[in-house]
Amino acid sequence: MKNIIFLYIFSPLLFLISCQQNPTNNGDSEKDTLATIEKNYAKKVKKIFYTVPSPIEMTNLLKKAGSEYNPNILNPTANTEKYLTVSQLAINLGVYGADLSYNRMFDQIQSSINYLVVLRKISDKLGVPEDEGAFAISRIEDNMNNKDSVMQIIAETYANADAYFKENDMPNIAAMILMGGWTEGIYIAINVAQTAQDKQSVLDRIAEQKLSLDNLIELMKGYSDDKTIQHFYPMFVELKQVFNKVDISYQSGKVNTDTINKITTISGTSHVEINDEDISSIENKIVEIRKEMIL
Amino acid sequence: MKRIFLFLSVIVFFSVVSINSADAQCKSFTKKHCLCQLSPFVYDGQLNSAVLTQGDVADLMLTFYPDQDYRVFVCYDKAFGNVEFRLYDSNKKLIYTNKDNDYLPYWDFSSSETMQLILRVIIPEKAEDQIAVKSGCVSILVGFKEESK
Repeated sequence: MKNIIFLYIFSPLLFLISCQQNPTNNGDSEKDTLATIEKNYAKKVKKIFYTVPSPIEMTNLLKKAGSEYNPNILNPTANTEKYLTVSQLAINLGVYGADLSYNRMFDQIQSSINYLVVLRKISDKLGVPEDEGAFAISRIEDNMNNKDSVMQIIAETYANADAYFKENDMPNIAAMILMGGWTEGIYIAINVAQTAQDKQSVLDRIAEQKLSLDNLIELMKGYSDDKTIQHFYPMFVELKQVFNKVDISYQSGKVNTDTINKITTISGTSHVEINDEDISSIENKIVEIRKEMIL
Repeated sequence: MKRIFLFLSVIVFFSVVSINSADAQCKSFTKKHCLCQLSPFVYDGQLNSAVLTQGDVADLMLTFYPDQDYRVFVCYDKAFGNVEFRLYDSNKKLIYTNKDNDYLPYWDFSSSETMQLILRVIIPEKAEDQIAVKSGCVSILVGFKEESK
């Protein structure tokens, strides 16, 4: 009985302070002492955060590729009426956020406003308070000619929704927003690649999502009790299997730290290998996932 | 025995609730006091914050892309003293530690290639003569902007 009492008291606490160990890798340039210190730190890792590039960041990366604006690839704003559950609304908050970023990338003022209105509507339905929403339609109208301001407003919208759900003990809903935004970002990239002048750079960006997909899957793993996330989880694992065919190698390079400007420049070399068949498989899987998301 | 279980249930319930509540307060603190310090970088919209105690370590897995500059800002309870943060590449090679720059809580990065990185935040251990272990809020914020070059 004493053991049961011990477990009863400490099991929730053990859960809260459980350590996740990182594999340590003694690189050639690392000294044994540093490796030992790192090993000790790895044992103490209490919390691991996984970040996923925001849709704004994704679309920002595509703008240099040179492609034509195609509104038909976006999730129509009229679809909002289809989304009734919290999960559907959260996922599509992410999807529409990516669409808004795409509109902003192509200076589509009216369309950006339309998508922003949709984001506000969804935020309201999800219960994100007005002040948490942090944007007013008038504010984006006033700033529409200033791309950076628009990007800031979109980022704030995302950040506030993310904060609201995490603060209110609903991090699974915040994860769904990321899931939707990430998927729509890749979907847009695949479509941009078809008309891009610099197609290879877009294909490289798509291939590199292999790295952020790992983070997204790790994030999703943390919500094994959420039905919606678990519904999508196997699909993302299948997508990962497709991405595994993409070869990305990275070699550490020179690191230059400028202490006056407080910036460190990392000059490694990476090599991405992706062929048309891989792209086509990724596209098929993304289309399938997105279809489930936007309904 | 039933009374013991009841008593323990109450203790466990309140310890979990108080941790969750501290976590929520931590996120509010981050929004109010930390986010503004990322400017002029655009915040990536992901709130990575938790209540940590002395001696804890937290990792953040992130991806940097070329053609963009990034700012990492570690916002924390001043009661911890100097909090160290380190950046490693995917080969576990140490790229940067703020220990070399007077524990400055932020630093900017740019990379020539897309890379997966690990940001490690190390909360200092408690002093030998200190009785109680301190806990506090720690937030890791990431912002990005187009490369300044």
